[in-house]
Amino acid sequence: MLYYLIVCRSLTYAQRTAAALERAGVTARILRSPKSIAGEGCSHSVKISQRNLTDALRILQRVGLTPKRVYITAGDGSYQEVAL
Amino acid sequence: MIYLDSAATTLQKPQAVASSSAWAINHLASPGRGGHRPAMAAADTAFACREAAARLFHMEDPERVVFTFNATHGLNIAIKTLARPGSRVVISGYEHNAVTRPLHGMRADVRVARSPLFDQTAAVEAFRQELNQGADLVVCNHVSNVFGFILPIEEIAQLCRERGVPLIVDASQSAGALPLDFQRLGAAFAAMPGHKGLYGPQGTGLLLCGADPDPLLEGGTGSESVRQSMPDFLPDRLEAGTHNIAGIAGLLAGLRFVERRRVERIAAQESALIRRLGMGMKRISGAEIFQSSDPAAQAGVLSFRLRGWDCEDLGEALGRRGVALRAGLHCAPLAHETAGTLETGTLRASVSAFNTGREVDQFLQILRSIPAKH
Repeated sequence: MLYYLIVCRSLTYAQRTAAALERAGVTARILRSPKSIAGEGCSHSVKISQRNLTDALRILQRVGLTPKRVYITAGDGSYQEVAL
Repeated sequence: MIYLDSAATTLQKPQAVASSSAWAINHLASPGRGGHRPAMAAADTAFACREAAARLFHMEDPERVVFTFNATHGLNIAIKTLARPGSRVVISGYEHNAVTRPLHGMRADVRVARSPLFDQTAAVEAFRQELNQGADLVVCNHVSNVFGFILPIEEIAQLCRERGVPLIVDASQSAGALPLDFQRLGAAFAAMPGHKGLYGPQGTGLLLCGADPDPLLEGGTGSESVRQSMPDFLPDRLEAGTHNIAGIAGLLAGLRFVERRRVERIAAQESALIRRLGMGMKRISGAEIFQSSDPAAQAGVLSFRLRGWDCEDLGEALGRRGVALRAGLHCAPLAHETAGTLETGTLRASVSAFNTGREVDQFLQILRSIPAKH
């Protein structure tokens, strides 16, 4: 199943992001960012399903938590950055 | 035992505090240091604690709630971020050594806005006069840990805002015991312990950040690990090393208790107990009490002396009779100097949400059994 990863600068930021999405009815799960997309070392990401990206971006913009980097899973297990 | 030393630490806690800490020791790992269930559960606990504190102190952003070891730790971060050697720093005449020692250590130019005990109008005026001469920073406690004097922090904050001077609030005695709206104050920082009016375990504290702080400690944060400088975002910037997650779990339970009980109700209860204590002491021969005639100027702390008694000896005597309170200078020689009690020190009785009027009456009865010396 395809899904998106919203890469966050910190665990707490990821928690705020996930909490805002959950409050708005969008299922969101926090996980450690895959090494290949983690940026400058360790980070956390918020995972959302493919169908929820548009809603998620709208919700996060509304609450002032606009993501900086979003990735989508590819069929081969790699990740591709999504142009926002 | 009648415990009247909550200004040092609240000993009686909500039951959930100990059980939450104990549970955390066996079930919570290190937040941000793994994606497994115990690590993520720890992260959930830490975040819930930040959110609870943000609600209590009217902050929008829980990322700006930073965990510290105690209020002193938070004050050191705040002071060392905003003051430099030679900085002109205005403080109240009631500050604790947690404020004065870091300022002394860095050789700041410390100016004391002196005002008489329990005179809030004079306190504002003293700050106004000092600020009119220019200041780089103001550090002020919300409540004196020695006398319970409630400094008019909203008015002092307004003076600071009008002049663009950053304010650090030492909320050690007021957090959880008096309403504190951090957003409205517009303060740069507010530091507080977790183990007093927030009813958490010792070894916990919070620093509320309105300004961008410099780290006091550097090390692993579980974020941006490739970089050799500390992250430039909160809370990671200030939280190097493994968290005290057992303490944080207990602090969360304490915050929830305060939230349920409501700060206003706790404040009213503590104020009533202190009035009752003061009224009773007035009838004890040889007792000299430091009590405000205006209940709005004193929180749940009351200092006193008994004629002819060394305060430490009296503290010992009361301890033997089952009363726990604190004698001496309470790590705040400046406050004693301001009030004229530096030579003798005082006995300090301080209450929490768990004290009762009956305990106050029992204490008074015990105190009456100790004769003043001539």
